[in-house]
Amino acid sequence: MTREALRAEPEATNADVLSAALERRYSAGFVTDIETDSLPPGLDEDVIRAISARKGEPAWMTDWRLAAYRHWLTMTPPNWAKLDIAPIDFQSISYYAAPRQGPKSLAEVDPKLLETYEKLGVPLHERARLAGVAVDAVFDSVSVGTTFRKELAEAGVIFGSMSEAIREHPELVRQYLGSVVPAGDNYFAALNSAVFSDGSFVFIPRGVRCPMELSTYFRINALNTGQFERTLIIAEDDSQVSYLEGCTAPMRDENQLHAAVVELVALARASIKYSTVQNWYPGDENGVGGIYNFVTKRGDCRGDDSKISWTQVETGSAITWKYPSCVLRGDRSSGEFHSVALTHHRQQADTGTKMIHIGRDTKSKIISKGISAGRGQNSYRGLVKVERSAAGARNYTQCDSLLIGKRCGAHTFPYIEVKNPTAIVEHEASTSKISDDQLFYCRSRGISEEDAVSMIVDGFCRQVFRELPMEFAVEAKKLLEVSLEGAVG
Amino acid sequence: MSNAFAVAVGEAAAATLPRLPGAGVAWLDAARRAHLAAFLRDGLPAARNEAWKYTSLRALEQRALALGDADAAARAVDAQALALPGVNGPRMVFVNGAFRADLSYIDDLPEGLELQPLASVLARDAESLRGVFGATATDAFDRLNATLAGDGVLLRVATGARIAAPVHLVYLGAPAVADLAWHARAVIELGADAELAVVEQHGGAGPHAHLGTLVSDIRLQHGAHLQWNVLQEADTGATLIRRSAFRLAADAVVTLHALELGGALVRHAITAALEGDRACFVSRGVFAPGGRQHLETRLDIRHRRRDTASDALWRGVADGRGRGVLHGAITIEAGADGAAAQLGNKNLLLSAHAEIDTQPVLEIHADEVKASHGATVGQLDERALFYLRSRGLPLEQARALLTSAFCRVALDGLDNAPLREHLAARLAQHLPRLAGDVEA
Repeated sequence: MTREALRAEPEATNADVLSAALERRYSAGFVTDIETDSLPPGLDEDVIRAISARKGEPAWMTDWRLAAYRHWLTMTPPNWAKLDIAPIDFQSISYYAAPRQGPKSLAEVDPKLLETYEKLGVPLHERARLAGVAVDAVFDSVSVGTTFRKELAEAGVIFGSMSEAIREHPELVRQYLGSVVPAGDNYFAALNSAVFSDGSFVFIPRGVRCPMELSTYFRINALNTGQFERTLIIAEDDSQVSYLEGCTAPMRDENQLHAAVVELVALARASIKYSTVQNWYPGDENGVGGIYNFVTKRGDCRGDDSKISWTQVETGSAITWKYPSCVLRGDRSSGEFHSVALTHHRQQADTGTKMIHIGRDTKSKIISKGISAGRGQNSYRGLVKVERSAAGARNYTQCDSLLIGKRCGAHTFPYIEVKNPTAIVEHEASTSKISDDQLFYCRSRGISEEDAVSMIVDGFCRQVFRELPMEFAVEAKKLLEVSLEGAVG
Repeated sequence: MSNAFAVAVGEAAAATLPRLPGAGVAWLDAARRAHLAAFLRDGLPAARNEAWKYTSLRALEQRALALGDADAAARAVDAQALALPGVNGPRMVFVNGAFRADLSYIDDLPEGLELQPLASVLARDAESLRGVFGATATDAFDRLNATLAGDGVLLRVATGARIAAPVHLVYLGAPAVADLAWHARAVIELGADAELAVVEQHGGAGPHAHLGTLVSDIRLQHGAHLQWNVLQEADTGATLIRRSAFRLAADAVVTLHALELGGALVRHAITAALEGDRACFVSRGVFAPGGRQHLETRLDIRHRRRDTASDALWRGVADGRGRGVLHGAITIEAGADGAAAQLGNKNLLLSAHAEIDTQPVLEIHADEVKASHGATVGQLDERALFYLRSRGLPLEQARALLTSAFCRVALDGLDNAPLREHLAARLAQHLPRLAGDVEA
């Protein structure tokens, strides 16, 4: 039931609103029926060699994957997060699924595929030009279409799939891959390093300001395929780029594992802005199905005066487990993290950031907004670490949680470790429910309870939304509204 | 476990268990053996253990410590030096974990107050302590303590009794032939509507590097009021691991003030379970590590019932190579509607080699609640320093003044004025020494 339909029925009581909304279907839940070329489920060295071979990778890449795999075998899954995770059988996952025909241009792209994006509102093809966005769409694991490549190439920007980059720019990949998130960094990063299928590669050369916002839409489609993308963004001295990542997946009854790795490298005076709207299938109201979103995202402010900014809106996935982080190595470098995480029904999120201050006069800012509804469990976990070398470091952290309903949980686990006496670190957190006074005020002005909640939530998240590029901000706001339907009552 | 510490514990326990007060009571023997087996199986917590992330026990692992002090009764202690202003009630003194009747006053107790050494209760009526010694232990040191603590405090306040004079509990480490480990336990029960003030003091009667563990189980029936004040000035070589576990019934109120100044490696876990409606737990404290001190306070406050309240305000000052750690966890359980919880932790980092780690945690499972926390790490305000110096104060004095003002707020709520002034004076005396300890 849409919001308009609800308004058309003024007699609808709260209970009606609630039950109608509870029955809402996941609006992005459809399956595109196209043939896929998949490896059988299971993981061993042969599977990794097969992935590498199918992608025509050079030997060094295969060896890198195998080394990661061997390291992964020695590791145990981490269990420190405040998450209730059903055991994952890594042998029952298929580690490679690619659309069978390899399209050479957008015109050759399977119309069904394009239709899928159409339903999601991905601005591909002409719509892409209108929206001024270049799209490298990842369908399951292989990049199927890239637009605006020419315009970008003129600027010297390399934007394409990781597979292409490994073939066409091996020297860059070799230099930077794994330099921010080493292959053995953590359990899921090691798994990703071994089996990653594709992802985006961005290179902004010295002094270039990327002429448009870059965007990738990830989509998990085939049943039981883990998606393991690997994204690498390199911004050379004095360059600038804004990258948008949106995620959505069709409805599935089994949990699907998504273990991505994103590495950002900002050299001197470079600036990278990375925005995510994550709307993967969250599972139904009983916690059946849904994506496991276990992602390692880390940015390295390697050069002086560099800047990395993460913005995320997390409304999907059964379990979200990620900490987009900044290593502030260069002097006067700065890191930012803006996050809205919403959990509803039985969704769980353990997310936050790490700000590691190493260089002098480094700055970081963390704004985290958690919203829990239904039986959702939402945790902020963040580390602010000021090393001895980081004289004059400055951090400000604000994490607020909003509770909607009696059975949800909101948790805050900040870690503050300061070793430099000239650093100033501030952390503030608060947890509350939507105040009855605010609701009463809105209702006395004739605003329905649902709309009032929506307004208040929007205000609560405003600080984060304004960091998003405009078209994403609109989508994020809409997502939040849809996700919260039925939370009030 | 094969490290020197665990081997020594195993050997000492085998010899000591049959001689501990209460030995021969079947359930107590079984409980002690179970705790020992669990300790020997898991050993000391590893660095990977999240709750011990900041506390390094690697040095302790290598130390084979003797258990207890056979000559504790003969250790020289200056009884005069134990007196605290505003604290003139009954006193119990423990030296290296053993009760010293000669230094204590537990005769002539006010009506409604029961105060006696735990050892005699264990020997006479162990059954009355079943709830304490039979309970499960939370971590390695709790297990050690539950296995080996043979003495300590039993304090009971009768229903409705209001004990005017504060009870003074003193735990001293005294030099012995070799460094040793002592374990003491305090069992404190306040009946309904009872009122009591306690001063827990830790000190040293000469240089030593003992390990002391103290577990205090503190239980308040409905409407009881307890003021709990801690002055921790253990010897600079001492390792001191304590747990104070408070359980509050409806309308019970605990106000805790703690000054953590001494010791080499000190860890104080404070757990407060608000198990009745409107129970309230207030904690205030200062930790001021200097030299190579590691001072850690871990708060774990659980709101279990409606309209419970907690308020925590802590200050940390780290100088020299000191490390100050505050873990402040507040949990509001489902159903604890109307709970209000607040935690503030401000810290000053005064030296390039000191470290502050602060971790305020909120876990909220109910929605009609107000919960917030804040933590800061910074340095003295340059402008305030400049102002004081422009008024003719030397830099050191200006720093000391601002630092003690920064800490002072944590003591302001202490009702016992002479004690409050004494604690403030101890703090003021301690602060300027902080940096100087680096060379020592």
